[in-house]
Amino acid sequence: MLREATKALRAAGEAWLERGFALAFPFIAALVVASLVLLVIGKNPLEVFTLMAVEAFGSSSRFAATMSAATPLLFTGVATAICFRAGVFNVGVEGAFIVGGLGAAFIGFALPATLGPMLIPLGFALAVAASTFWLAVPGYLLARYEIEEVVTTLMLNFVALGVTGYLVNGPLLSEKTGNNVTPLIHESAELARLIPPSTLHAGFLLGLAVVAGYGFWVRRTPAGIENAIVGRNRRFARAIGISIPGTIILVMVISGFVSGLGGASHALGQLHRFAEGFSPGYGFTGMAVALLGRNTAFGILFGAILFGALASAGTTVQLFSDIPLDIVNIIEGTVMIFAVVELGRITLFRRRAVS
Amino acid sequence: MIVEQILSASIILTTPILLAAIGGLINRHAGIVNIALEAKILAGAFVAVIVSSLTGSWLMAVLAAAASGAFIGLLFSLAITRMRADMIVAGLGLNFLVAGLIGFVLSWAFNSSGTLRMPDVQLLPKILPDPVAAVPVVGSMLAGLEPITLFAWLSVLVLPFVLSDTRFGLRLRATGNALRVAHAMGLAPKRMQDISTMIAGAYSGLGGAHLALASIGLFNEGLSAGRGFIALAAFYFGRNRPVPTALVCLLFGFLDATQIRMQTAGLPPKLIGTIPYLMVMLALCWAGWRSSKARARTA
Repeated sequence: MLREATKALRAAGEAWLERGFALAFPFIAALVVASLVLLVIGKNPLEVFTLMAVEAFGSSSRFAATMSAATPLLFTGVATAICFRAGVFNVGVEGAFIVGGLGAAFIGFALPATLGPMLIPLGFALAVAASTFWLAVPGYLLARYEIEEVVTTLMLNFVALGVTGYLVNGPLLSEKTGNNVTPLIHESAELARLIPPSTLHAGFLLGLAVVAGYGFWVRRTPAGIENAIVGRNRRFARAIGISIPGTIILVMVISGFVSGLGGASHALGQLHRFAEGFSPGYGFTGMAVALLGRNTAFGILFGAILFGALASAGTTVQLFSDIPLDIVNIIEGTVMIFAVVELGRITLFRRRAVS
Repeated sequence: MIVEQILSASIILTTPILLAAIGGLINRHAGIVNIALEAKILAGAFVAVIVSSLTGSWLMAVLAAAASGAFIGLLFSLAITRMRADMIVAGLGLNFLVAGLIGFVLSWAFNSSGTLRMPDVQLLPKILPDPVAAVPVVGSMLAGLEPITLFAWLSVLVLPFVLSDTRFGLRLRATGNALRVAHAMGLAPKRMQDISTMIAGAYSGLGGAHLALASIGLFNEGLSAGRGFIALAAFYFGRNRPVPTALVCLLFGFLDATQIRMQTAGLPPKLIGTIPYLMVMLALCWAGWRSSKARARTA
């Protein structure tokens, strides 16, 4: 009896360890790669990582900067994860985020300032409408005609870049400040700053709410659970009566909705306008966040803060210790690759066990 | 005169896209959608500039660029075939990783942010003697012809034959169309995929070498400018057939060459730049619509 109990306990412990390792594996791999790169240029990786940790979390203002950098990733991480866990390979969050940002900024500067705080919900509404439509199109094409979503969403990112780039250089160009930017939004359309000297804004709280809502959705709602079943096994899902096209359109629409919220808070809270280069790849980093977080709410929160920390620390580390900011890109790329390699690692073990 | 200039510029601008598209097409025939062509173009251009400057030989530079592309392709392929990585995510990740590594080396080893200028960079030689420039209409194009462009178009001519009539081509397509059958026939499909990804890498690396060494002779982080994705658009639109894909590349090169002129004519270049991507959307919609009609008929 006792023996069985300890056995079960040990098995559970091992399972937890393995799970923990599986979760941390891509990040560990990225740290190893980054350490190698740092060693090659004769830096002590431990020193650099400590410096980065201090720069990211060391003081309340640095902490606020990290959370500020993590804010867009909370949205793009959720927007990506919700599709990935349903087996829909949406890589178009970047484009939807950009389109939403322009929509919100447009409301913010084009409507009369007399509307006051009403500008904020209006801005969010247009952003969400634009982004939702942006991803609903490839969602419909996939659901109705089985057109590969990977290619369509990837291509739509470039279309979003081109169209918004045209608009901010042409019809929506600010007359005062010249290049590639829209005018600033009215003050009443700006989201509140939470800790005034830092740029951390109310969008961060919205992002946390979105992550929490996502956590509830995936674990506690029928639709959230159905999506996961579709992601695991489409044939089974179809057999038990879940609509595959319905699921695809649903997750794409939600993904667009969340991207729109993210784009709007970035425009109204962070930049206070739309500019070319509005998103330095938030959609793609969001993909790394979702992969690292294994599509769980806590994982996404953790991943977003981690990449936020890398971004905020990377800039200052570059200033103080002549380590190029590109180390952040190296870590991000490695995380993405090893996040998907991980599945194969287990099969490698299995094969070895058999032979 | 204008026609002559546009023709010549179109050909030059087509070459890198065409090379990457040929590589991606071969790769896709083996069942791998290569989204990391961009990374290999960038790596090829970077290596080409350095090797050209160090050795003073354009040929060495071109070979090194192809080799670096093939090497990255091999790593990419091993992640997919041996460690079962998802090819899309791994490809996007590789794009970040390679761009990051190059940027890192640039600022650390060469102390430069973004651009690499090196002394004595050997550019690609022109094949034909100068007097051909006098030929009407195509003169300037002929005078500008260099070995990589010639190689690209020869590949286009040879490829349909290779794919349909050689043992290699048939095995390649068997791997992509029916992985299990290929495996059952003892064809080592994984090795086939590795080889095809290396070929894709080598071709993209050549494309990078052309970008860097055709006329400018320097490297810039933004040099590839999404050409890997335009190449992806080209072979999707050309439905994986070499000659149509090449013609689509030529169209994209032409759009690129006329962008400046279109701007002066009042057409916004940013919007023109979205044409390749919209064309792919249309092509995919058309194909999807047709196959769904076919399904409806058989059902």
